[in-house]
Order: sequence, then C-alpha cells, then structure tokens
Amino acid sequence: MAAVAQTSKLGKVLWPVLAWTIALIFFFPIFWLVFTSFKTDADAVKPEYLFFFTPTLENYTNMTENYDYWRFAINSVITSTFATGFALIVGVPAAYAMAFDPSRHTKDILVWMLSTKMLPAAAVLYPMTFLTKNLLGLFDTHFLVIMVLCLINLPIVIWMLFTYFKEIPKDIIEAGKMDGVSTWGEIKDILIPLAWGGIASTALLTFIFCWNEAYWTVRLTTIDAATLSKLIEGNRAPEGLFFGRLSAVSTAAVAPIVVLGWFCQKQLVQGLTFGAVK
Amino acid sequence: MAIQNSVLIVSSILILTVILGLLIAVLVNRTFPGRGIVRVLLISPFFVMPAVNAVLWINMILDPVLGLNGLAVSGLNELVAGLRDFPVIGGFFAMWPELHPISFRATQTSAYAVIMMVTWQWTPFAVLIFMTSLQSEDESQKEAAMLDGANAWSQFINLTVPHLARPIAIVVMIQSIFHLSLYAEIEIVSRGNGNKNLPYLIGEFTSNNIGAASATGIFAVILANVVAIFLLRMVGKSLMD
Amino acid sequence: MASVTIRDVKKSYGGQQVMHGIDLDVNEGEFVVFVGPSGCGKSTLLRMIAGLEETSSGEILIGDKVVNNVAPAKRGVAMVFQSYALYPHMTVFNNMAFGLKQTKTAPDEIDRRVREAAEVLQITDYLDRSPRNLSGGQRQRVAIGRAIVRDPEVFLFDEPLSNLDAALRVQTRLEIARLHERLQSTMIYVTHDQVEAMTLADKIVVLRDGRIEQVGSPIDLYERPASMFVAGFIGSPKMNFFTSAELVVNAIKKLAAVAVVANIGIRPEHLTASTEKGALIGGTLDLVEQLGEYALVHLNTAAGVPFIAKMEKPPEVTKGAQMWFTANPSLVHFFAQESGLRINT
Ligand SMILES: Nc1ncnc2c1ncn2[C@@H]1O[C@H](COP(=O)(O)OP(=O)(O)O)[C@@H](O)[C@H]1O
Ligand SMILES: [Mg+2]
Repeated sequence: MAAVAQTSKLGKVLWPVLAWTIALIFFFPIFWLVFTSFKTDADAVKPEYLFFFTPTLENYTNMTENYDYWRFAINSVITSTFATGFALIVGVPAAYAMAFDPSRHTKDILVWMLSTKMLPAAAVLYPMTFLTKNLLGLFDTHFLVIMVLCLINLPIVIWMLFTYFKEIPKDIIEAGKMDGVSTWGEIKDILIPLAWGGIASTALLTFIFCWNEAYWTVRLTTIDAATLSKLIEGNRAPEGLFFGRLSAVSTAAVAPIVVLGWFCQKQLVQGLTFGAVK
Repeated sequence: MAIQNSVLIVSSILILTVILGLLIAVLVNRTFPGRGIVRVLLISPFFVMPAVNAVLWINMILDPVLGLNGLAVSGLNELVAGLRDFPVIGGFFAMWPELHPISFRATQTSAYAVIMMVTWQWTPFAVLIFMTSLQSEDESQKEAAMLDGANAWSQFINLTVPHLARPIAIVVMIQSIFHLSLYAEIEIVSRGNGNKNLPYLIGEFTSNNIGAASATGIFAVILANVVAIFLLRMVGKSLMD
Repeated sequence: MASVTIRDVKKSYGGQQVMHGIDLDVNEGEFVVFVGPSGCGKSTLLRMIAGLEETSSGEILIGDKVVNNVAPAKRGVAMVFQSYALYPHMTVFNNMAFGLKQTKTAPDEIDRRVREAAEVLQITDYLDRSPRNLSGGQRQRVAIGRAIVRDPEVFLFDEPLSNLDAALRVQTRLEIARLHERLQSTMIYVTHDQVEAMTLADKIVVLRDGRIEQVGSPIDLYERPASMFVAGFIGSPKMNFFTSAELVVNAIKKLAAVAVVANIGIRPEHLTASTEKGALIGGTLDLVEQLGEYALVHLNTAAGVPFIAKMEKPPEVTKGAQMWFTANPSLVHFFAQESGLRINT
C-alpha cells in the first residue's frame, strides 16, 4: 500500500509539520505551566516578562519549605498506591468470577456498576462527612482516603479487568480445572500470569485516577491525610495572584504522573482503551 | 437550567473530542520524523489533574486581564494602535475597533471555558483509542478498494469510518461516565456565577439546604441510571461480546 | 482403565434442551468415538463426562462410581482440547507437570513421569521450550502428553486433529491409535470426521440433535446403518438415495417387495456398470472426477436426481451419455419413507 500510495512532495513536508504543530499546541499549556513556575509571582503577571525573565527556583524552595510539599506528596503516593492495591485485590477475583463463571445478569451488573460512576459525588457528601466525622471518627485518616479512592475506582477496575480476562481462552482455564488446580491456584498460576499486561495497565490507570482525584480527597481531609489535590486547593488564591507559586505547586503535583505516563506509555495506551479496542 | 447546562457541556465535549480525535489520529497515524515525541506530547494533557487543569486554564490562559487571553488581546490592540500612526495604511487601521478580551467568567462563557479545558484534556484519550484502532485496520481491504478504484476519501468513508464505529462508541461511553459527574472544573471556573451543572447544583445545596440536596441527589441518581440504561445498554453490551 | 456408563443423561441450557436422554456403555479399554454433524452435542456430552459441564438430569458413572458431583480432576479423566489449551506462560515440561504438582507428587516422580511421556511422544527435545515456539503438531503432542502423565482411567479427546493440516492429521491419527494400543486405556474421542471415526473406533456413537442415532462397530455402521441419517453420514462419498420411481421399471422385482414404499440406498462403490436390460438404475453422465486409483462418476437420473458411482476406470463416453448400473441386492439398503429407519434386516 505504502509503496504505491501517491504522496505529493508537499504532503511529505506538510503532514509532519501539521502533526508537530498540533502536538505543540496541545502541549503548550503544560509547557506554560512549567515555564511560569520559574517566574516570581510579581513577574508572572507582567507582560514585559512574558517570555524573557530571570528564572528563579524561589517558588520551589518556598513550596518545600513553607508549604510542606513533601508531606502532601507522600500522602498522595501512599493513598494512591494502597487504593490501587486494594482495588486490584478486590477487582481481580470479582472480574475473574464474572469472566469465567458468568450468570445471566453479569453484564447488567457490570453496566450498572459503571453507571454508578456517573453519580455526582456531591449527592452523598453530607452522609459521607457525617458518617466519617461524627460516627466513625475516620475523618482525615489515610485509611478513609484509601477506602474512598478504592471504592470509587472499583467499577472501572473491574470492568477493565473483565475485558482483559475475557480474552483468555476459556479452554485454558478448563485445562486447569482438569489438572485439579484450586480456585486460588487458578488465579495465581494461570489467570494473573496470563493477564499480566492487562493488570499492569489497569493498575497504572487506577493509580493515575487516584492521584488526580480532587473531590473526596479535598473534602474528607484537613492535614494528616491531605494529598496534593488539597495542596492545590489551598493555593488557589483569587484571580491573578501568585501565578508563580501556583504554577510551581501545580507542576510539582502533575509532574510525577505525566512523567510516569511517558515512561509507561505502551501499557497506558492499552489500558486507556479499556481493553476494548485492539 | 443546571440540567440543560449539564447536557450542553457533556455533548459539546463529546462532539469536539470525537471530531478532533479523529482528525488528529488520522494525521498522526503515519510515519514521520519524531512521531514518538509527538505522541508523548499529545498524550500528556490526559494526565494533568483536573484541578490543575482548571486553574491553569481559567487563570493563566483565559483570564481577560492577566492570562494569555488578556495579554494577547491587549498586545494586539497596541499593535493596531501603533499601526494607526503610519501613513496610508494608518487610515485603514484607524477603522479597527479596540478589541476586548472575552471574559470566561460570565455565566455562559464560563461553560465554554469548561468545554475548552475538558476537551483539551480528553482529546488525547480519543486520539489514542482511534490510533490504536486505525493500526488494526485491515490493509488488504484497503488494497482491494484501491484496485476497485476507490479514492482516498471514499476509502475513509466506506472502510475507515465503519471500522471506527466501535472505538467511537467507547470514547462516547467512557467520556459520558466521567463527564456527567464533572465537578472540579465547574467549581473552579464558575464559582459564584450561574454556570452550574447538576453535580454542582447538588454541591451547592449541600452547604445550605440538606433537603434540597437530597432531593436533587436522588434526581441525579435516577438521571444517571436512565442515561446508563440507554447509553450503556446500547454501547456497553456490544463492547462486552 | 475404567468403564464409563451414562444413564438417561439430559442437558438444558437455560430452558433450551440440547441432550435428550443419553444411554451409553463404554467398556474398559474401549476406544469409543462420538461422531455427528456440528452442533449435535458431542462436545457437550464429552464435557459432561469430564465434569466441565453439569448434567441437568441422569447419572454418569466412571468405573462403578457415580461422578455427577465429583470435581473434574478427581474423576480420573484427562482431556485433550481442540485448541490444545496449553498454558502459554509455562515451558513444555511445566505444562505437563502442572497437574502432578497439584497433587503434591514428589519432584523426582514428576520428572520421571514427564520424561517418560515425552519419550513416548518424541518431544523430549522441546521440554524447555515455550508452547509458542512449537508447531501445531508439536503442541498437539504436548497436549496429549499432559493427559498421559496424569495416568488417567479415561482419556477424553475433543476434535484433537481438526487444527492440523491434512498430512499431519493422518500421521497423528495413527499415533493416537498406537497410543491406545500401548496404554490400553479407555478413550472417548469426539470428531465430526467420519474417516477418523471409522479408522480409530472400536465403537462408534452417532449423535444427532442431542440423541444417539446408532451405536456399533465401524463395520456395523457401514454395513447395516440403522437410519438414513447414519447411512448418509458414514462412508465417503455419501450413499445414494433413490425412490422406487427412479429405478428402472422392473428393477423392483429384483429387489425386495418393500422397495416400492421405501427409500433405497446404494453406496457409490456398490454400483457396477451393466447393460440396460440388467440395470437397476440409469442416468446421464454429468462429470467424471479422475482420482487415478478410481474414478467418481457423477450422473443424473431421468428425474434429475444426482447420484455417484465409483468405478475402477473412467467411462469412455462423453457428457450427456446414458449409462446403466446394477448392484448386488444384498448391498441395497431400504429405509422407511417417513421415519428414515432401516427396514431390511
Ligand atoms: N454454553 C452453552 N450455552 C448454550 N447453548 C450451548 C452451550 N454450549 C453448547 N450449546 C448448544 O448445545 C448444542 C450442542 O453443542 P456442542 O456439544 O458444542 O456441539 P458439537 O460439539 O457436537 O458441535 C448446540 O446446539 C449448541 O448451540
Ligand atoms: Mg464440539
């Protein structure tokens, strides 16, 4: 096909230029964020320093020294990691049962589970705060944040795992049954090794969703379990003030995930298609 | 009003991401120098925290005074003002009105701001899915079509678009799931003005009127399930077979 | 080695009944083949014996033990899947050892049994390879090896050759026959290919729409098919069927009286060229398939019904020519017109 396709000389130059232009446009806001983070708050709003200014790390040192960046970052790492872990621990057996021993209603259940993602979280904010603050005393604990992040991501986790597991030939699972493997052995020795790529994609994506979550993490924490979302929330000053600081905090909150995304691009692309596009 | 706004925002985002996603996917789905880097650059917005996304856009890019929006417009005005002093063409530029940057904090325009930032974030997602799918397109089908004398456009319409029907369905479904409960962006962009979607309305009630919040909450639950039934039944079921 | 007994077994999938009361005895050491068109329930029956599918009613016995509620691995059966179903992430050795590991067999015992089976199947050289680096035929051997190492009472095969190319199919078929001779174990083998059934089986079970149509030795089924369905299914090319109206006018006299009301079946290899006077059936030549050893002659009766005669030499006439055939009356089959059941005894 490529051998005979007639691409004009102009096209040969034009396509890449166009692709690069679009990519740069899409990347520009991120670039701008990082760029601005090296300006002082005062410089950041002055047109004359729009492109040319004296770069400074002031915002970053300020952030770590006065805003306790690392505590928020560590909280984000802890909560996202454990929430992802728990979601997989629950999700793998659940998706396994749905994929290999479906009932007549399995698909309806999956669809319904996914539909709960469409519920506005605000609808249950009041009962959630009441319950955790006044009754259980879990407010602002890592445990609560982990549980909430785990639960809100569970539908997506199960759905993704389900689509991956369904690709494993049923025969192989049955061969395992003939070989007398226990249910746990089936998961450990057959399912997980075979669906490893899919599980990794699911884990990565879940981690990203947890890291970026900003409704519950902001509302169910104050200091102890506060994540980077909370840090952003706290630095979101009225319009136009502290652009430099805000940029630095944002960059530091976003960078780990964007970099992670770059390095795990292959798995993520697979994960992002939710196993449904080949 | 909030419902209307919810629908406007979600459907605009869906249409924009699908169209942009398709165009960019077709564009990037060829080999050219630096394709890997282009891919990395394109995918990046998807990983940005929604809260950061909103702050970044509304303050640093779209702000009518201090953001790039304001700076660009005032820069343009200055340029025009400067040109007025020139002979001959000065007369032409003298007829130009002074431009005013659009403020994205008004009720209606802030909805556009939300649409813009979410589209920015989710177009990469659409691009990725479409690209993955394009790569699995049957080349021999295309070759057969070429032998039949089909041109590039009719190949695209008759082969590529039907091939993309399923990925489009996925993009629509998954985005609906995420955007119907959109909150952070609305909150940051529209604080205090009338641009509310359903989740935000509920959030507002929660702070002052528990009864109304619960009622709206239940309404939202019902709405979500109705949408779920229509959308996921049609799209979701076909995905699982 | 054990017998398998199936008593009035039925199976429904969500209200849709697919097996309608199967009764069958498989003797110890017997090679039994389930044969029938696709969708007739062969795999379902096999999988019920394996324990991968529950029975809706009825009993399955292996040896003299009812196994309806026994887990697949505890039934003493091993299965070879159509898709091979090897564990893609394990080496050939581990694929074969996996079942033994589940029963906590001692490592040196596992090693001994795997190597022994590998020897028999000539796959010793591949033990460290991954299944993805094997050819279809080699994978098939590994799948068989996995069954052998477990030393089962009963081997179950579900269309094990259907993914192989023609040459390999013949070769593997022979190897399975040799394996049965050597192990002397009970084997149940599913296929839709009547040649496999004829060549391998001690006993063939013909299934149709979830019912047993006939059980018998290959030669029984060939010589005395119990119904038109079996008659048409066993033998290649298929048996020709005529009604009395299509036969030569006074041919009936040469055959049994029942011929008037029956469907008459004559295998292509039993038709011999004759004169018009001595003929049972006549037809115009349509096409000749020359296969060297013999020729398949395609003809049409006067009424336009196609039939085939297998001849040693191609006829020396051209398309459209009239030809006459006769057959030994003892090789002519009669089937009731309504039920399709065999009439002559
Ligand atoms: N899991 C199932 N659910 C519903 N129907 C099934 C299932 N498995 C098999 N069937 C039906 O049972 C019948 C027999 O199938 P099967 O035993 O696979 O046929 P064979 O192996 O002879 O080709 C078919 O009509 C098939 O559609
Ligand atoms: Mg079958």
